[in-house]
Amino acid sequence: MQNSIPKKRISWRKDVRLLPGYLILTLWVLFTFVLIGWVLAASFATTREIFKGQALQFPSGLHFENYVKAWTSQNVSVFFGNSLGYASISTALLVLVCAPAAYVLSRFKFFLNRPIQSSFVAAMGVPMVMIILPLFGIVTQMQLLKQDITIRLLMIVLYVGINVPYTTIFLLTFFSNLSSSYEEAAAIDGCSPIKTFWTIMLPLAQPGLITVSIFNFINIWNEYFMSLIFASSDRVKPVAVGLYSMIDSMKYTGDWAGMFAAVIIVFLPTFIIYIFLSEKIIAGITAGGIKG
Amino acid sequence: MKRNRTMFIVFLAPALILFCAVFVYPIFRTIIMSLFKVENITSGMSEWAFVGIENYKSLVNTSLFRISMWNLFRIWLIGGLVVMSLALLFAVILNSGIRFKRFYRAVIYMPNIISAVALATMWIQFVYNPRFGLLTTTFKNLGLDSLAAINWTDSDHKFWALLFAYCFGMVGYHMLIFSSGIEKIPQELFEASTIDGASKPQQFRSITWPLLSGVVKTNITMWSITSVAFFVWSQLFSMVTAETQTITPMVYMYLQVFGAGNVISERNAGLGAAVGVLLGLCVVIVFVVTNRLIKNDDLEF
Repeated sequence: MQNSIPKKRISWRKDVRLLPGYLILTLWVLFTFVLIGWVLAASFATTREIFKGQALQFPSGLHFENYVKAWTSQNVSVFFGNSLGYASISTALLVLVCAPAAYVLSRFKFFLNRPIQSSFVAAMGVPMVMIILPLFGIVTQMQLLKQDITIRLLMIVLYVGINVPYTTIFLLTFFSNLSSSYEEAAAIDGCSPIKTFWTIMLPLAQPGLITVSIFNFINIWNEYFMSLIFASSDRVKPVAVGLYSMIDSMKYTGDWAGMFAAVIIVFLPTFIIYIFLSEKIIAGITAGGIKG
Repeated sequence: MKRNRTMFIVFLAPALILFCAVFVYPIFRTIIMSLFKVENITSGMSEWAFVGIENYKSLVNTSLFRISMWNLFRIWLIGGLVVMSLALLFAVILNSGIRFKRFYRAVIYMPNIISAVALATMWIQFVYNPRFGLLTTTFKNLGLDSLAAINWTDSDHKFWALLFAYCFGMVGYHMLIFSSGIEKIPQELFEASTIDGASKPQQFRSITWPLLSGVVKTNITMWSITSVAFFVWSQLFSMVTAETQTITPMVYMYLQVFGAGNVISERNAGLGAAVGVLLGLCVVIVFVVTNRLIKNDDLEF
């Protein structure tokens, strides 16, 4: 008790000294809330109310039908389903492809190990414009853009391919930090290296797998440029491109409330993930960012 | 040993095959393509006509491309300075012992997880809207009618509106990188200097900043990589057609190769490839220069 009194006084004084800091951060945070809060409110208002500047007053109640309309008549449900499919399948495949590769690169010495690692790191800095033209050329030559199903498969393959370097490098640092005593014990018990990986090492790497999967899911969900080029028909578009074409058609429909509802629908999945997992995401950024 | 070899192949092959198919082969093909005149992007190499560096020459002589490079440079330099200063400021504040650190950090990073299309729409349709937008309403309420009358997305203000909105979303990421660098600095250094009577700004100048060179390098590299790919924001701020205010090289390339070419005269995918190679070169140059200029932080604590 005796100690806590002066301590408290010091920390209060410290808060006063930090006041400018609090002020700056609070203003920024406040603006973020206003930005998203207003769009959320507008998504429940009517277009007429938005134009009158009454988006925050709801004079005619909450209009849930904006969401229903956006979801059904504006194709948002299709875009949403597409994105969900692309993002979850690609994310799962990425773990399947990259975890074994990362494990081998982290555990075994061979002459191509360093070159592979460095080229993966370098690939993370390669702008999309440097790879998109040949990809498009090859894909069109192979007649893959004619049918919905081949476009969908192609999108998944490309999403996986694009994210291989990042995912592998991220998991590589993760595997390097696992002690090799597990494998030694397993080898003494006669467990083959491949089996050791699937039954012992992969489960141990679970925290890293989860973090990198969150990133991959969010990145693929938000991906824009590649989908713009390859997914040209409305039936195969993911949300980002779908939202763009919806906004584009706003010129004719004039349904602003519906557009804001669509913005919220696109924003919500990653936002919900973020609310629950922000600490994990932030920890992953700082771990992966330094490497990149 | 033999078992190890099968394991090598089975474990590495899928990742390496995908890597070669999506990165290695396309990169080389883009570089080669940039030296050819390619009338149709789908045509095979046999139909390409070798032109040497003609594509690059013609790009340099195209005023729209020069404008797009100038815009990219302005975004990179001015945006970079704004984002880095804000990110560093926020990171320093976050690590100065304030309460609710995790809350502030989470909210400031949040724009990064939002789809750029959604975020840009929020800015264009809400903040900058001339009818009911945040800026217009705020200035009206403050009685600043001349400011309230400004249309922030007209061609005079568009570039700055775009840049500002873009920077808002980028600060969080770079703040986290700075913050992770600051967290690594031993706390005793600050404690010792506080006892010696150093103020916060003094501590920043002589402890934090010199020990941050590693993260500064990371930040500059990452900023350059994302800047080069500047595309969505530009497209959303100029929905109808590419405008000189907002065009970036990637938008130019897109119009050149895939576009409903209202600005493009000549069909030549080789030009698009040359844009790609130039942008790749920009990243490499920035990377090499920052590595030369900024020494590694191998300081002994």
